[in-house]
Amino acid sequence: MNNFFKILLLSLVFASCAKKQDQLFVKLPSEESGVTFKNDLDPSKNISILDYLYYYNGGGVALGDINNDGLVDIYFSSNQGKNKLYLNKGNNKYEDITQKAGVAGESDWKTGTIMADVNGDGYLDIYVCAVVGINGFEGHNELFINNKDNTFTESAAEYGLDLDNYSTSAAFFDFDGDGDLDMYLLNQAVHSEASFGNANIRNNRSFESGDKLFRNDNGKFVDISQQAGIFGGPNGYGLGIAISDFNLDGYPDIYICNDFHEDDYYYLNNGNGTFTESLKNHFGHTSRFSMGVDAADINHDGFPDLMTLDMLPENEKVLKSSLGDDNVQMLKLRTEKLGYHYQYTRNMLQINQAGNHFTETALLSGVAATDWSWSALFADYDQDGEQDIFVSNGIPKRPNDLDYVKYFSNEQIKSKINTTKLLDKQALKKMPKGNVTNYVFQGAADLQFKNRSSDWIENDSIISNGTGYADLDNDGDLDVVTNNLNSAASIYINLTNAKSNYLKLKLQFEGKNTFGIGTKVISYVKGVKQYKELQTTRGFQSSSEPIIHFGYGKTAIVDSLVVIWPDKTYQTLKQVKTNQMLIIKANANRKPFNYTRLHPTVLPVFKQVTNLGIDFIHQENHYVDFTAQKLIPYQRSDRGAATAVGDLNGDGKDDIFFGAASGRASEIYLQTTNGFAKKAYPTLEKDSIFEDASAVIGDFNQDKNNDLYVASGNGENAQNLQDRLYLGNQLTNAVLPVLRQNASVVKAFDYDGDGDLDLFIGNNSKFNRFGSAPDCYLLNNNKGKFSVVQNKTFEGIGMVTDAIFTDFNNDGKTDLIVVGEWMKPTFFANTKGLFKDVTESLLPEKCNGLWQSIIAFDVDQDGDQDYLIGNWGMNSKFKASQEFPMKMYYDDFDKNETFETIVAIEKGGNYFTTMGLDELTEEFSGMLKKKFNSYKSFAGKTLEEVFDPKMLESAKLYEVHNLKSGYLRNDKGKFTFVPFANKMQVAPITCFVKANFDADAKEEVFAAGNYFGVSPYHSRFDGFSGALIKSDKTIFLGNQVGIDLTQKAVRHLDIVNFKGKKYLLISINNKKIEIYELPTAKN
Amino acid sequence: MKLKISIIVALSLLFISCKKEASISVTTSDYCAAVDTVSAIMVHDIFSPPVASRIYVYPNIAAYEILAQNSAKYQSLQGQLKGLDSIPKLDPKSGVNQKLAALIAHMEVSKQLIFSEDALAKYRDSLYQKWGSENQKEFDVSKEYALKVVERIKKWMGKDNYKQTRTFSKYSVYANQLGRWQPTPPAYMDAVEPHWGEIRTLVADSASQFKPKAPYAFSTDKNSPFYKEAKETYDVGNMISKKLIAMENAKSDVVPEESVIATFWDCNPYATITQGHMMFAKKKNSPDAHWMNITKIACKKTNADFETAVFVYTKTSIGVFESIISCWNEKFRTNVVRPETYINQNIDPTWRPQLQTPPFPEYTSGHSVISNCSSVILTVIFGDNFAYVDDSEIPFGIPKRSFKSFKQAAAEASISRLYGGIHYRAAIDNGAEQGKNIGNYINNKLKMLKK
Repeated sequence: MNNFFKILLLSLVFASCAKKQDQLFVKLPSEESGVTFKNDLDPSKNISILDYLYYYNGGGVALGDINNDGLVDIYFSSNQGKNKLYLNKGNNKYEDITQKAGVAGESDWKTGTIMADVNGDGYLDIYVCAVVGINGFEGHNELFINNKDNTFTESAAEYGLDLDNYSTSAAFFDFDGDGDLDMYLLNQAVHSEASFGNANIRNNRSFESGDKLFRNDNGKFVDISQQAGIFGGPNGYGLGIAISDFNLDGYPDIYICNDFHEDDYYYLNNGNGTFTESLKNHFGHTSRFSMGVDAADINHDGFPDLMTLDMLPENEKVLKSSLGDDNVQMLKLRTEKLGYHYQYTRNMLQINQAGNHFTETALLSGVAATDWSWSALFADYDQDGEQDIFVSNGIPKRPNDLDYVKYFSNEQIKSKINTTKLLDKQALKKMPKGNVTNYVFQGAADLQFKNRSSDWIENDSIISNGTGYADLDNDGDLDVVTNNLNSAASIYINLTNAKSNYLKLKLQFEGKNTFGIGTKVISYVKGVKQYKELQTTRGFQSSSEPIIHFGYGKTAIVDSLVVIWPDKTYQTLKQVKTNQMLIIKANANRKPFNYTRLHPTVLPVFKQVTNLGIDFIHQENHYVDFTAQKLIPYQRSDRGAATAVGDLNGDGKDDIFFGAASGRASEIYLQTTNGFAKKAYPTLEKDSIFEDASAVIGDFNQDKNNDLYVASGNGENAQNLQDRLYLGNQLTNAVLPVLRQNASVVKAFDYDGDGDLDLFIGNNSKFNRFGSAPDCYLLNNNKGKFSVVQNKTFEGIGMVTDAIFTDFNNDGKTDLIVVGEWMKPTFFANTKGLFKDVTESLLPEKCNGLWQSIIAFDVDQDGDQDYLIGNWGMNSKFKASQEFPMKMYYDDFDKNETFETIVAIEKGGNYFTTMGLDELTEEFSGMLKKKFNSYKSFAGKTLEEVFDPKMLESAKLYEVHNLKSGYLRNDKGKFTFVPFANKMQVAPITCFVKANFDADAKEEVFAAGNYFGVSPYHSRFDGFSGALIKSDKTIFLGNQVGIDLTQKAVRHLDIVNFKGKKYLLISINNKKIEIYELPTAKN
Repeated sequence: MKLKISIIVALSLLFISCKKEASISVTTSDYCAAVDTVSAIMVHDIFSPPVASRIYVYPNIAAYEILAQNSAKYQSLQGQLKGLDSIPKLDPKSGVNQKLAALIAHMEVSKQLIFSEDALAKYRDSLYQKWGSENQKEFDVSKEYALKVVERIKKWMGKDNYKQTRTFSKYSVYANQLGRWQPTPPAYMDAVEPHWGEIRTLVADSASQFKPKAPYAFSTDKNSPFYKEAKETYDVGNMISKKLIAMENAKSDVVPEESVIATFWDCNPYATITQGHMMFAKKKNSPDAHWMNITKIACKKTNADFETAVFVYTKTSIGVFESIISCWNEKFRTNVVRPETYINQNIDPTWRPQLQTPPFPEYTSGHSVISNCSSVILTVIFGDNFAYVDDSEIPFGIPKRSFKSFKQAAAEASISRLYGGIHYRAAIDNGAEQGKNIGNYINNKLKMLKK
């Protein structure tokens, strides 16, 4: 008995200990702290989400030491109540000094709040934003100037900052480098437009809704928005602002998050008092309902990265009952016709590629879905040297719940249809709640974040909006404060304490910018760089403590700290001991800083040249696969242009064939002495109906003149899939067997050693039957006549994308490897002209992928042949592993003579369809509409609950175990898949080419990719700039070697010889080709 | 003692079973109520006008075919509607209550067609229980026969290409093709039923038999008929807006007549309203449902008997069904851009129509086709100058409205689309013509009355 209790007691102790071990933040009870502030929405004011679209956006937090006593004080803004200022008395005790300080605020609807030393007297002032002029809201933005005695004087008018418009938040920073703080005012539009309208509405100027930039002219803030190039349109739904020197030129830039369909703005500082909005040039896509934002360097390359928040739910039940993304056609209309950029409903993590462009990796990094999120704050909360993320979350009512939209709202408004107040409180009650706990992510190596929301913090159902960080208890780690809606504010005390080392820096700068806003500090420890910039406006409607904080794990001494001041001077601190708070004063004899020092050297590999007379522009036609095959996971019809390089006119020089999309004739460019010239061929013109998937040039009829074989594919029409063979200089038509599949690749090789060129044709699918695995064809050449070799081994191989003739078993005979989607790389050994599938003995592991491309290359430099293989990458909503493969079922499920695909991925041990109810019922209306007559009844249901398991069982099942690109490592003739690092997994890798790119003694491989043929649910795979692969250890991304292929869907890479030089020809879907000159080898 | 009780029990049982049970009474109101129940479920489930027309027509035909069995007055539609034959024959001595069987068949076919089966099953089961308690035997034989007919009708309607059209291609939006229809604000929904023209017609030879005059050629030239037409829609919309503003300024509650008419005939089953992140639906009955309700009003006003009511419902719903196939065939043949899109791109980027633009191409106006076809059919049955009060929209918060004749109602329904800012005049005029032609054709072609 006694023993039993002992054990019980002990296990209880252990249990609680175990929990505490992982918990990073503990909430400070308000009874203990005295911080009782609540941002209560006042029902008596009779305003609701119906009157004001940002009714639930909540208030802000400003953190800073207002009396310079070394303790960080807390200021909260309250939407309808009184703002509160809490003086930090030490030991986690706070005193409410609002009344005495005179900072309660007078406006009727208060929003963001920022602490900054606006007048440059060394004391923090407080700026509070307000929404004024709708719903009877009165007041103006208030500026509380610090009287240095714990009291403040409201002086907004005096400074020219008493704006009475629709403000969300503000940022104080020195944009022009003149030594004082200027201000960007973030405003919000409050009227929702029924129609998208043209994007150029942003060129208009609206006082109420438009953002504004103010220059500080000796204490007077002057609105210079127009002359500075800041948009102030009526459609700027500004919810987030991040200031950072994104391109590291010494001038702070601005990123603005806009809600709804208005694009985010990326303002690059021109350094002359003006900005250039440059979003489209630098970002492939952004969040759609962009809310909070933060900037910090997360991958140690010294360039600030960016995270924007949206409202994609993680929970399957919420996800499937909430409004999702646009359909593919609407997105096309918005981007191509109305001038908006690509926006998708999820968080985005934008990785800065040396200031050139951003590669978005939220899906790869695991931070894409945090539900209805307000504030993102990067900081090293656990002090391990990697940036973590704190996300505040929740909304009292989910207005985008589909059942509410479609079924409940109507019941509520029916009787009030002609009154202006369409919904009343009763109706609001029916809307589901969106109280979601805050999220916290632990940063890890290789662009990864680990969701620690369930152990680092206590989960609750409190709605948190504005958020800030500060070292409230002066123990060196960063604590977090959230302003909560209808609940007491949360103070998260960080328990890292002495477990991990840190450095806390306070800066003292000259002139009016006393806190040194805009200062950058770069820390170096054993070659590992950490980059921080002092900007206090972060997250959402809030400002954090004006300090720089680094985490260091076990490191005791920091090798060096480079402090770059806002005036482009710097000083260096060496051998800095960790675990201390340092005050760094701007050194009187500090030196000018050369920013080019921060930019990596670009290896001079690729030099773009004018196109040598080649004007080919690949133009994709209107066809959208999803209109015909509604449930397929991605398109098939957009895999052009096909290219082939070879001599077509018998002059011994390289000519180029460009295949075209259906409806356009293919083009041929013949090499001349000065460049290339297009030549028309009647036979090609006549065949413009075909869409060319792949082509090869070779002398097939052995008449010493090259011929051209073009495989048709990307099927949009069953009639247009016949392959073609064109002979000789005039490209006259030749007879071929009937070859009507969606071909994806053709390769020529004399496999039977009879002296002529034979062909392998890899096929992807039958017409309009995505998921059918058609036969591939081996065409035997008999005196110029091709016939299909009967061989069961090539029947139904899978959805083939690429193939390579290669001697993989070193027996002197050329074998064949075929790769494709939903299949394993498949090895066909050639024995005396007979091919046999030997995959299982050479590559036993489960490694079905969405393989796109293959090339032979000794990547590990051990002397044998490895194979690089391009896959889908990890930056998508697809998910696959050996344990939980991604599944695709293929059948005519509803017996209506049309074949469908159902794709499912695993979440928490169960499988769920990737598609929502609306998409599924578009195809399966008879089967599912009656079974699920509400979204709630469907949401959270597993695949087997949605579809009859028997039906699934009888369907053809495809699996994918791996989505990573990488290589098949040759170990004495057996192969093992080795993945590339995450920088290579940001998009599908669609093509490779081997050449000596850097004029050394060896050949390298250049890889390219990106792909856009997916529904908006997946967004767009646009962030891969290309990569030069020298070896498994040395891989350079495009921007490191002088090439940027982001936002381009590259389909083919070819080497063209022209006048003794080598050129890289890059063919891009729906774009003009690009040509790069390669360095000449120094022989 | 025990024996005595047994005898009494046995005797009383004998008496009960011997008692002649009255035939189950089924009235016109019962039939109308069943149609109304289906209409209400359709509002909830959200059916587009094409699909709604299909949900109305087959249950009515099932009911009608049962009544036409051994009828002196009504002619079966077998051999008159494409593919309809082999309706199970009714033995006159079977004891089947034909009205009861007709109503059962209506509910059972309807249940097959709507989504929220539970709602209809609940309604049906309460009636089944009642009828069973009234006369179990009659109910059983009537139901048995009804279900046989239902099976035959289901098989027949299963071959109307509906199932196949579910899987056909979605409408393709070509952003750069001027004049081609594209999705409209605020929800930018996909085009509804782009392949409805491929549904099997019942009476017409083909979907294109009543092909209307061609629409004006698309043009942005200010002197072109197309531009002028769009300008008219724009001007009319602005005229109504001005009147509405004047009304508001004068604090008057007299809504301008054009606005009343537009609202009364809106008949949009699913309009979406967006406020910030909030979206909600404003649902009304479809044009089909509106005309089914006018049918009910006429039947009630004339105290039509059960058979007459089923006959009128059936004929009107056939008219609506044929109208929509013809109209949709034209819509997706011409793919004409809606006034909202055209006006925003060529006249005024901020202009909004009074009604929410429905999600399908403009030419011809569906309401014009449906209303005129229905009015032609109803006029032949009830006569011209049939005055009535239309209270169809009361459940949707819209007051009733009086009409002198079906034709007047149809004319008003047609012009309402101009007032609503969702059509050009040609689509209304030519659509009305198209509807009349279909109605007249049905009147001439279909033999439903034996005399």
